[in-house]
Amino acid sequence: MRNIIKMTRRGFIRAAGLACGYAVLSVNMTKEAMAAALAFVEQRQKHVYDADRNNKLYEYKKSQDNPMITALYDKQDGFLHEGPCGHMSHRLLHTDYIDRSARVKALKAKGYKLAL
Amino acid sequence: MKEMEGVLYQTNAPTGVDPDNIYFVQVDPNKCEACGTCEEVCGTGAIQSINDEGIHAVVNPAACMNCGQCLVNCPYGAIYEGVSYVDQIFEKLKDPNTVVVSMPAPAVRYGLGECFGYPTGTYVGGKMHAALKKLGFDLIYDNEWTADVTIMEEGTELVQRVKEQGKPKARPLPQFTSCCPGWVKFVETFYPDLIPNLSSCKSPIGMLGPLAKTYGSHESHVPAKKMYTVSIMPCIAKKYEGMRPELADSGYHDIDATIDTRELAYMIKKAGIDFKSLPDVKPDRELGESTGGATIFGCSGGVMEAALRLGYEVLSGEKLKDPYIKAVRASSGVKAASVPIPNFGEIQVCVVSGLANTIPILEQVRQGNSPYAFIEVMTCPGGCVNGGGQPLDPDLRASLFKNVMARVNRRYRMRQTV
Ligand code: SF4
Ligand code: SF4
Repeated sequence: MRNIIKMTRRGFIRAAGLACGYAVLSVNMTKEAMAAALAFVEQRQKHVYDADRNNKLYEYKKSQDNPMITALYDKQDGFLHEGPCGHMSHRLLHTDYIDRSARVKALKAKGYKLAL
Repeated sequence: MKEMEGVLYQTNAPTGVDPDNIYFVQVDPNKCEACGTCEEVCGTGAIQSINDEGIHAVVNPAACMNCGQCLVNCPYGAIYEGVSYVDQIFEKLKDPNTVVVSMPAPAVRYGLGECFGYPTGTYVGGKMHAALKKLGFDLIYDNEWTADVTIMEEGTELVQRVKEQGKPKARPLPQFTSCCPGWVKFVETFYPDLIPNLSSCKSPIGMLGPLAKTYGSHESHVPAKKMYTVSIMPCIAKKYEGMRPELADSGYHDIDATIDTRELAYMIKKAGIDFKSLPDVKPDRELGESTGGATIFGCSGGVMEAALRLGYEVLSGEKLKDPYIKAVRASSGVKAASVPIPNFGEIQVCVVSGLANTIPILEQVRQGNSPYAFIEVMTCPGGCVNGGGQPLDPDLRASLFKNVMARVNRRYRMRQTV
């Protein structure tokens, strides 16, 4: 009894939530909620693929067919005339990565539990 | 704090700050109801319970990939963004000496409309460019154009890697995509030994920043030092990426500001623009024209499909008749495919979204027995259309009770199967 009185609002929601989750909610309802979330993403994806198919929106389908890509890499006077992965590309468009593991190692050493 | 499209933002616009020390998302402890949804969707465990009441917080920015999946899934709206450049951009738009450059990502045009009453996913690319012009952006570039550039660079890199196998100093396979800043930070943080597998290509926005200030400067006759480049993304992690100090290859910082789809919607409304009545406008052609291969970058599997549309032709020497390679489209999770290429053979590829899903695949790579040549990873389930910077799913908070109960139930069942 004392425990219940001491329980905070949030603790209560959590406890009640768990209780309902175990006992009251049907499996179907869970499935529905998950399906709804997925359907939301799939709807956006569908519009993307529809646009890809729409010749009025996208005349060309392949990156290499884009006239402004051909112009960029034009061997004569293109800005990247050496072609993809040439010197200028490497200077402007490629990068190096940094090992950032030290700080999470330190966190774990302090006792934080991470997913990996 | 400013509320934009149902999400709170701290309105600071940091410059010259180490992004590794910034909390791009954080929990308001007064709003957190301890439901644990955020922890469930987080791939790294960065967001976790910090006291007996179960109040959650991002414990340290080093462990957070800044994807914002916790934020868009929180049924109580308890999670806010730590960075917003909106005020600074409004100032720059007013400044006659600054040339403001717009650089919107593919997925933005499939989310923005929702903030103006269009059905989920409606394409509003033309109106988006029109709105940017109306807001006062001077150069209307398009990150879809650099998605095409990315395919040229990354596809070429892949073909090079495939051909160099067995030779000394060959770069390893599988090659990983590097478009997603959440994923890139994930490799750097949790799998640094696999950094050599990451494509050396910057992301499309990582490419458009420096191209705007070099090639774009040349084409538009605007000196790069007058330019203020604005990255407009479906994504919170792109704010981190834009601040990476090494992205300064144009001689200036390549990306001056980053905002997400919600913030763009806020700016359009704030400026009193009637979005629905706008005409369809095309971006500036030289750094703006794009293909279907570019627009599908917004979906999980899209970068893979666009790369295969190039790789097929380069490796086979033949034209690809049907560009729609549905075998690599993935609405969520993991999808492996074997794609036959004439005069070459089968190419084994894998598409993953959701960071937790990468772990078994990466362990395979670590052990040296990954069957794949090319792996695409997006942090957000389903890809950037479902990014952490996109408009919220209106059902999420409306059906609060049902949702929370459903999630509690799911967590319970997950525990049972463990
Ligand atoms: S932003 Fe992403 S990585 Fe960071 S705490 Fe939220 S879900 Fe986890
Ligand atoms: S999947 Fe897209 S939206 Fe999500 S973190 Fe990666 S780049 Fe950003």
